[in-house]
Amino acid sequence: MSIEEMKTNSRVRKLVKETERANRTKGRHMSLSKQRRLSNTVIYIILTILVIVWLIPFFFLLLDSLKCDVAADGVTRVTWQSDNIFPRKWGFDNYVDLFTRTSFFRWFTNTTIVGLATAVLQTGMVLLMSYTLSRLRFRGRKFLMNFMLILGMFPGFLSMILLYKLLSDWGMTQQNSIVGLILVYCASSGMGYYISKGFFDTIPRSLDEAARIDGATRAQVFGKIILPLSKPILIYTILTAFMAPWGDFMFASYIAHSTDIGKNVAVGLRDLISTSSGMADHYTWFCAGGVIVAIPITILFMLLQRYYVEGVTGGAVKG
Amino acid sequence: MATVKLTNVKKVYDNKVVAVHDFNLDIADKEFIVFVGPSGCGKSTTLRMVAGLEDISEGTVEIDGRVVNDLQPKDRDIAMVFQNYALYPHLSVYDNMAFPLRLKHMSEDEIYNRVTSAAETLGITEYLMRKPRALSGGQRQRVAIGRAMVRDSKVFLMDEPLSNLDAKLRNQMRAEIILLRQKIDSTFIYVTHDQTEAMTLGDRIVVMKDGYIMQVGTPTEVFDMPANLFVAEFIGAPKMNTMETELLREGDAYFVNAYGARIRVDGEKGEALKSKQTPTQKIILGVRPEHMQLSDASNPEAFRCTVQVNEMMGSELHIHALTGTGAQIIVRIPTVDLSREQRASLGAGQEIYVTFTGKVMHFFDMESQKNLLTE
Repeated sequence: MSIEEMKTNSRVRKLVKETERANRTKGRHMSLSKQRRLSNTVIYIILTILVIVWLIPFFFLLLDSLKCDVAADGVTRVTWQSDNIFPRKWGFDNYVDLFTRTSFFRWFTNTTIVGLATAVLQTGMVLLMSYTLSRLRFRGRKFLMNFMLILGMFPGFLSMILLYKLLSDWGMTQQNSIVGLILVYCASSGMGYYISKGFFDTIPRSLDEAARIDGATRAQVFGKIILPLSKPILIYTILTAFMAPWGDFMFASYIAHSTDIGKNVAVGLRDLISTSSGMADHYTWFCAGGVIVAIPITILFMLLQRYYVEGVTGGAVKG
Repeated sequence: MATVKLTNVKKVYDNKVVAVHDFNLDIADKEFIVFVGPSGCGKSTTLRMVAGLEDISEGTVEIDGRVVNDLQPKDRDIAMVFQNYALYPHLSVYDNMAFPLRLKHMSEDEIYNRVTSAAETLGITEYLMRKPRALSGGQRQRVAIGRAMVRDSKVFLMDEPLSNLDAKLRNQMRAEIILLRQKIDSTFIYVTHDQTEAMTLGDRIVVMKDGYIMQVGTPTEVFDMPANLFVAEFIGAPKMNTMETELLREGDAYFVNAYGARIRVDGEKGEALKSKQTPTQKIILGVRPEHMQLSDASNPEAFRCTVQVNEMMGSELHIHALTGTGAQIIVRIPTVDLSREQRASLGAGQEIYVTFTGKVMHFFDMESQKNLLTE
C-alpha cells in the first residue's frame, strides 16, 4: 500500500466515524410534533406578554375614564393620583362633561374633517403618483424616485418654522387651521409612493396595454382596471392617510394652539392637562377623550385588517 | 378594406439598442401575415409599433392609408391578443368581452348580441359568468380571442397567442384559429417563434432575424426557395442539413461533393444553374432531412454513415447519423415504407447508406449566405 493510499484510507475512516456520530445524535432528537408544540408554546408565551404590555396603558386609560369618585367633601371629583386602580364609583360623567363643558366636540369635528379630507386627497395623490412611476417612462423618473426617497428620510419637523411662516402669511393658522392642516398633511404625500408602486409593479403591464387597445384612455385604464385590482393597497393607503392627521400632535400644536376653534383632538386634550391645575381637575376627562379618539380607529382596523395586511405584504413582495 | 403598410420602420430603444432596422412591408386587406423568428429578432416590437404600444423611432405605419404613428392605440381600430391572455381578473368573462364595447358606449342590447354570438362561435357560452381565474389556459385564450373578435376592428394582432398552452392544446387552438380566420373578415398579423404555426397559419410569412427581414413569402416559397441560409435552417423541422462543399461545373452539368459522394444536380435546380451560368465555386449545400433517403452500397450517389440516435416519432423516424466525412446529419424516413427488418437495421451503431437527388438541394453563397438561385 502506497503512502497516498494510506492517507486516503485514514480520511475515509474519519469521514465514516463522523457520519456515525452525527447519525447517533440525530436519533436523540425529539420528534417533529414535539418540537413544534414546544416552539408554539414559547411563541404564545412571548405573544401573551407582549399583549399585556401593550394593553395595560389602554386598560388604565379606560378605567380612569370611568372614575366618578368624589372626595371626602362629597362634591370635589377625585381625578388625578387616586390610590385606587378600579373606580370606586363607575359612570360616564367624564364623557358627558367632555362634550358639555369643553370644546371637545369641536376638536373632534375638526379632526374628522381634516382626517377625511387628507385621506381622500392623499390617497388620490399617492395612487396616481405610484401608478405614474410604475407605468410611464419619462426623463428623470429614476432621479425623481431616488430624490423623493432621500427627501423622505428627513424628519418632517425640519420644515416647521418655514411652514408656520407660510401658513400664517396665508392666514391659515389658528381659527382657520383646518385648511392649513390639510395642506400640510397632503403637500408631500406623493412621496409615499413606495409601497403602492411596488404593488402596481406586480400587476402585469399587458393588462394596461390590452385596455388601451380596447379603447381606454390612461385615466380609464387606471380607474376601471388598475384600481379595482388594487383594493388592498387602496385601503391600506386610505387607512394610513387617515391615521396620520387623526393622531397628529406636532403640526397641529403649532398651527392652532391659542384658540379652541382650530384645535384638533390631540392638541385640545393635551391643553386640558397642560397646567398642573388642569392636570388635577381634568385628568379623567383627558382619559375619556383618549378612549373616544381610539374608537373610530379601532373599528376601522377591525373591519379592514385583512386588506391592511394584504396591502403591506402585497407591496413588499416586489419593491 | 384594411391594409397595413410599414415604410422604413425603425425602432431604437433609449439605450441605443436597435431592435428593428428599416422594416418595409405591404399587408393586403384580409391577409394573414405571420412574423416569425427567434426571440429578440424584433417581431414583437414591430407588432407593438403597429399596435401603438411602442413609439416608432423612424418611418411610418399606415392603416388603411392613414399614417397612425401619432395615434393612441385606442384610435387605431385594432384588436390584440396577448401571450398571457391579459384578461381583466376582476371582471367576468362576459364583462371582459363587453369591456371594449362599453368603452364605445354601445347599447347593452347590442353588446349582449355581439358577446353571446362570439361566445357561441368560440364555445365559451357556459363560462360567461365565470371569472378568468376559474378557466383553463385554453378557455382563457378563447376569451381573449373573443374580446378581440367582438370589436370588428380593422386589424387583428396576435402576439404569440399559443405559447402559454401545452403542446396538444396548441395544435387544437391552431386549427381553431384557421377556422376562426374564415369567420372573421379581418387583416391578421400574427407573431410567433414557432415555425410550424407560421407555416400552417400564414398567407405570407415574414422571417426576421436581429431586427432585419430575412424573407417575405408564402409558406411554400419560404420552404422551397429560402432566400438565405438562416431561413433555410429556421423553417422546417428537423433543421436542414448543411455542409460546406464545392459546386463543380463540368460543361453544362453541375455536381456537388456531398459527404464523400459525388451527386449530380438535375431537375429544375440544374436548369437554373445552367441558365445563370453559375461558375464552379465554394458553397454551402443544404438538404432537408425529409429529402434524404436510405440507399445501398451499389448506388454511386450514396454515402455511408453510422447511426448515432434513432428517434421514433410514430409516423416517421428521425435518424441522427455521422457521415464518413465527420459531419452530423439528420435523415427523416416515413415508417410506413420500412419493413420490420429494415427498422431493426437502423439501431445505433449500424452502418447505413444515404442519398438524395439533385432536385432537392439548396445552394448558398459562402460569403453572403444568400441562395445562389434567388439572386
